[in-house]
Amino acid sequence: MSKNILNIGAVIISIIGAFFIAGPIIHIFVKLSSKSLIATLKDGVVWHSIFHSIYCAFWATVLGCFLGIPIGYVLSRIQFRGKSVVESLINIPVAIPHVAVGIALLSLFNQRTFIGHLFRTINISFVDTVYGIVLAMMFVSISFIISSSIVGFNSVDKEIEMVARSLGASHTYTFFRITFPLALPSIIRGFVLAFARSISEVGALLILAYFPKTAPILMYERFEEYGLNAARPVCALVIFLCSLIFFTLLYLNKKYVRS
Amino acid sequence: MLEAKIIKSYKNGFSLGIELFIEPNSYNILLGPSGAGKSLALKEIAGFEKMDKGYIRLNGKEISKLPPENRMIVYLPQNLGLFPNLTVEEHLFFPFKARKIKPDKEHISNIMKEFGIEHLIQRMPSQLSGGERQRVALARSLMIRPEVLLLDEPLSALDFHLKMRLIKFLKRIKQKFSLTIIHVTHDPLEAIYLGEKIFTIEKGKITFFGSVKDFFSNSQHGFAKNIKEQLIEIKNFLKTY
Repeated sequence: MSKNILNIGAVIISIIGAFFIAGPIIHIFVKLSSKSLIATLKDGVVWHSIFHSIYCAFWATVLGCFLGIPIGYVLSRIQFRGKSVVESLINIPVAIPHVAVGIALLSLFNQRTFIGHLFRTINISFVDTVYGIVLAMMFVSISFIISSSIVGFNSVDKEIEMVARSLGASHTYTFFRITFPLALPSIIRGFVLAFARSISEVGALLILAYFPKTAPILMYERFEEYGLNAARPVCALVIFLCSLIFFTLLYLNKKYVRS
Repeated sequence: MLEAKIIKSYKNGFSLGIELFIEPNSYNILLGPSGAGKSLALKEIAGFEKMDKGYIRLNGKEISKLPPENRMIVYLPQNLGLFPNLTVEEHLFFPFKARKIKPDKEHISNIMKEFGIEHLIQRMPSQLSGGERQRVALARSLMIRPEVLLLDEPLSALDFHLKMRLIKFLKRIKQKFSLTIIHVTHDPLEAIYLGEKIFTIEKGKITFFGSVKDFFSNSQHGFAKNIKEQLIEIKNFLKTY
C-alpha cells in the first residue's frame, strides 16, 4: 500500500518535472506563426548568427578538449599535494555568474594587459571578435570536459594497463591503444555537454564579444528591441537546430559505445 | 633463472622484505593469506613498483631499473586484464604490435590450436565464457615467449570444476612450452596440485620455501603449519564417509 502511494507520488512529481522542462519549449513552437517562421528562415542575419554559434562552439569545445583531457588524465592518475584544491577549481567556471566570467576575461585579455598585448602581436584580439567568443565559450564549458575525462580515465582498470605494459607496450602505446579508447565514451559525453553549454552562452559574450553576433545574442537583441513576438521564431529555430545537433551527437556516442 | 631480493616500505606502514630464487622451467607457488604481500611482490618483479633496496636478476642480468615492457616478464592479474575494446585476434597480435615486431604466425597458430581458441578470434572479451577468457589471456601471455610468467590468483574466482580443469591445463602448457611460472594464491589446493616449489609469505616475509613434500614434512610453524593442519583435518573428515 505504502509502496503504491510512493510510486504514484513519484510518477506525479515526474510528470510535473517533465512539464517544467518541456513546457516552455513546446509553448514556443505552439505560439509560432508560420508567417514569422518563414520570414526568419529567409533572414540572412539569423543564419549568420546560427553559423557563428555553431562554428565558435565547435572550436571552443575542440580547444577545450586539448586542455581538458590532459588535465582529466593528470587528476585521475597522478597523486600530488593540493590535488583536491585543483579538483575544486575546475568547477569554478560553472559556479560563478557568467557576466562575472565576461568581466574577468575582459580584464585579463584586453589589449592593455600583458597577455592581451602578447596575443595582439600575433594579430589576435579578444574584444568583439570570433576569438573572444571562442575564449568565453571555452571558459564556461571546459569543466564538463575535465569532469568527463576524469570519470572516463577512472573507469579504466589500472591492471589492464599493467598487463599491456608487461606484454611490451610503452606507456604512450598503452595510452593510445587501450586507455584512451576505453575512456572515450565518457570524453565524448563531456564533448557533447561542453558543446551544448558553449552554444547557449550569453552572459560572458555580452561583456567580452557582443560582435559578431551569436544566435543567443541575436535573440536577446530582438527581444530587447522588438519584444517577445520578434524573438520567438529565432528562438524556435535555434532550439530546433541545437536539439538536432545534441541528440545526433548523443546517438552517435551511444552507437560507438555499443560497437 | 630469476633471482630477486626486494626490500620496500610502503606509506601505510607495510614492509616487504623477500628473497626469491626461481629456477628456469619451474612452477613456483607464492602462498600466503590476504594482505601478506604476495601481489605486491609480483608487481615489484614485473616492474610496476619501485623497490627501496635489492635486486632483480634475470639470467644473471640486473633488470630492476628496466621498465615493465623491457623485462620479458608477463603479468596476468586475477581479472585477467583482457582489453574490452579488442577482439581475441587483436589480443593475440597485441604483444607483437606493441613491440613493433613481425608477428610469428606459426607460433600464433600453434598456440591458438593448443589453447582451442581458433573459433573465438573474432569475438570480444564480453562474448567469452569464464574458461574461454582464461585461455585467451594465457594464450596472449605466451605470444612473446616470456622468460617468466606471473599469475596473480588466476583461479580464485572459478568454481571447483573449472578450477580443476584449468589446473590440468596449466600443468600441460607449462610442460609443453617449458615455462617458468610464479603463481600467487591463498589456496593450498592450488599449491599442492601445481607447485614444484612453494614459498609461503606472511607479513611481507618469506617463512618457508621448498618442494611440496618439504612443505608437509618440514613446516612446523606459521601459515604452512596452519595449512597442513587444515588439510589433515579435511582428510580425516573425508575418512568418516
